[in-house]
Amino acid sequence: MPKNPIYENRKPVITIRGLKKTFGQNAVLNGFDMDLYEGETLVIMGKSGSGKSVMIKCLIGLETHDAGTINIMGRDMENVSEDELRDIRTEVGFLFQGSALYDSMTVRENLEFPLRRHKRKFGGISDTTPMVIEVLESVGLAHAIDLMPEELSGGMKRRIALARTLILRPRIILYDEPTTGLDPITSKEIVLLMKSIQQKYSTSSIVITHDVDCARFISDRMILLVDGVNYAEGTFAELDASADPKVQAFFKS
Amino acid sequence: MDKSIATNIKLGAFVLAGTALLITAIYFIGQKQSMFGNSSMVYAVFRDINGLKPGNNVRYSGINVGSVKDITMVADTVVVIRFGLRKDILPHIKSDAHAIIINDGLVGNMIVNILPGKSTGRPLQGGDTIRSFARIRTDEMLSTLSVTNENAALLTAELLKITRDISGGKGVISSMISDSTIARDLKETIHHLRHTAEASNKALVNINRLVVSLDKNNNLLGMVRDTMLPKTIKQTLSNIENSSGEISVVIRQLNDLIANADTTVTNIRKGRGAINYLSNDRNFVDKVDRTVTDLDSAVLQINNAAIRLNQSLEALRYHWLLKGSFKKMEKEKAGKKE
Amino acid sequence: MKLLNTLIRSVLNYLEELGQLSRFAGKFFREVVRRPFEGRELLRQCYNMGNKSLLLVGVTGFIIGLVFTLQSRPKMLELGAAAWLPSMVSISIVREIGPIITALICAGRIGSGIGAELGSMRVTEQIDAMEVSGTNPFKYLVVTRILATTLMIPILVVMSDAIALFGSFLVESIKGDVSFRLYFDEVFASLDFIDIIPATLKTFFFGFAIGLVGSFRGYYCKHGTAGVGVAANTAVVETSMLLFVLDFLAVMVTDIFY
Repeated sequence: MPKNPIYENRKPVITIRGLKKTFGQNAVLNGFDMDLYEGETLVIMGKSGSGKSVMIKCLIGLETHDAGTINIMGRDMENVSEDELRDIRTEVGFLFQGSALYDSMTVRENLEFPLRRHKRKFGGISDTTPMVIEVLESVGLAHAIDLMPEELSGGMKRRIALARTLILRPRIILYDEPTTGLDPITSKEIVLLMKSIQQKYSTSSIVITHDVDCARFISDRMILLVDGVNYAEGTFAELDASADPKVQAFFKS
Repeated sequence: MDKSIATNIKLGAFVLAGTALLITAIYFIGQKQSMFGNSSMVYAVFRDINGLKPGNNVRYSGINVGSVKDITMVADTVVVIRFGLRKDILPHIKSDAHAIIINDGLVGNMIVNILPGKSTGRPLQGGDTIRSFARIRTDEMLSTLSVTNENAALLTAELLKITRDISGGKGVISSMISDSTIARDLKETIHHLRHTAEASNKALVNINRLVVSLDKNNNLLGMVRDTMLPKTIKQTLSNIENSSGEISVVIRQLNDLIANADTTVTNIRKGRGAINYLSNDRNFVDKVDRTVTDLDSAVLQINNAAIRLNQSLEALRYHWLLKGSFKKMEKEKAGKKE
Repeated sequence: MKLLNTLIRSVLNYLEELGQLSRFAGKFFREVVRRPFEGRELLRQCYNMGNKSLLLVGVTGFIIGLVFTLQSRPKMLELGAAAWLPSMVSISIVREIGPIITALICAGRIGSGIGAELGSMRVTEQIDAMEVSGTNPFKYLVVTRILATTLMIPILVVMSDAIALFGSFLVESIKGDVSFRLYFDEVFASLDFIDIIPATLKTFFFGFAIGLVGSFRGYYCKHGTAGVGVAANTAVVETSMLLFVLDFLAVMVTDIFY
């Protein structure tokens, strides 16, 4: 795999080699390779059903992959214990496509929920309110602390979901289609927020999207996923300039 | 936080209410079975407990006073039941009370019923064993009934046979019953008897009147003057004569009859032949006996009547006024004999 | 031939689902004894299932008691056995009608609720979100719900029994002029531990079945929003069937021991 020279001196936090995943007869991932370097934002683009969501779910252990290796911060996902998996998950945040806020809980309870099992990480805190308020301020929704998810708009939900991801102070954040289902203005707001969080918490990120504007704005580097393999790789500008019709299809649609 | 506390309080109330209901129910049911509270254990031994189960009621004077606790088999025909009795009832049950296992109603559960003992007995104490009665079971009753039924069927069959024999003209009774002469004799005898009795009665009334008037000496003259009197007396006496003759015939006939009846009875008592079965029937024998007795007493009465008549006649014979007439009668008799 | 294939496939399908359900139950028993325990969520679920169902179960029980007595009263009078009515009604309600009606009502209300709630949590990735945030969703969502139904259904049944008997008493007192004391004396005289203990024990199994099937259907819900409806629906249908099977088994077992 040809490496981009600008990352040569950086160390990868996630390494994926030869990832395969099959659902029934349908091979969704067919030998996918990827490196995520510290502090970068990697955008993975692909058509619907090209296996991008499946890939990051395999990454976090929500799906089991059939073949290949996944290494997150030096730990192989194939043989981690349950405790180790939990530790990895506190380091890797996941923003779900549909926000996935817990309907039956208030915003505060939603944000407190991840802390229930991870208080150890923060030295056994008893009052979580300052942490909740801090992340809410980071996403600009401190006033919504006692609302229920059903009272929030789609954009607000996305922000709260982001806040919930942030509350565990992850070093890596995985975004699954962060702008899907939002109007362009709200999408823009979310993307700006992602950028600011990237800077504020200095996280590494994988963003899965088919939103070209989002990709252009946020990406340090991009991977195009076609038929379960990484078809093309490079910066937004490099790929945008590519003459390959399959690559062009992503940008000209 | 406040909301969750309120929620928990409500949940607590809910759980408490449910558990309390369950415990109340269990307590009441337990109380009915006297599982809790004061009860003393008493034992009773049975051969057969007829499906009694632990938890069945124990009743004394119609009050539920406890329940059966357990049932143990101690030998092949010895079943010991242990039951709790309410302590407040215990002093009222005497130690010579009896336990019996009965059905509570026709389709009800089995219960242990305690029958009171003598009021002078010692009060029952915990750990005592009370005596038991073998219970007459419904099925035993039914089986007894069925035996009775079989017997009845047998009886009917035998009776049928006897009846057929009798109507077919076999055996003593048959001859007794079917012999029309005996029947006619009897009828005649009775007819005679009635006739005799009437005649005797009439005679006796007349004689009595006569004797009474004779006893009154002051009426003597009037009596003598009565020319009709000798004639009447004469007629009376001849009536008596006739009666006596008839009576002696009747008595002879009766004697024969009784002799026959006696042999019949003897035969019956000895249990011969087809009458064998009837002999077992006390009723029948009694009836025959009673009939014979009745006949005997009738004869006795007739005999008595005859004796009294004879005495009266004897008395008349020696009466001065009638001496002549009697002598004349004796002469006539002697003349006839000659 | 085609029919046979379809038949074989559906039988295999059924067996597979049964196997999955058994594994699911096995997982419940493994997880229920392992720390950490989700006590607060358990209490919340108990409240939701217990207190919130009480009105429904109470009204149903009351009407059942009322109607059952009204229906059987004329026949009992005809037989001259009106005095047996309290004992007959109490035994039927405590042994059978109370548990099965309450369980069916709860299968409808609680079972479908669990199926729909977990189903929608599954399709909106809330379950995944829990998993990712380090909370075991099986423990948090499934174990608490199954435990809650297992604990709450018996209490609901006891309350329903009591309310049903009260309804029956109302009919008797209005139509037959029976005092409260006499009625309940009769009821408790006719009831035995044999009636109340197996009947209460089986309600724990009823509760377990309601929670288990509802959770199973919801937890493995597929195919988006439509799948949620299917999950809720199949949860109720399968729970109801399972309840009758369990009831039958319970009666058979009771029969063996008494």
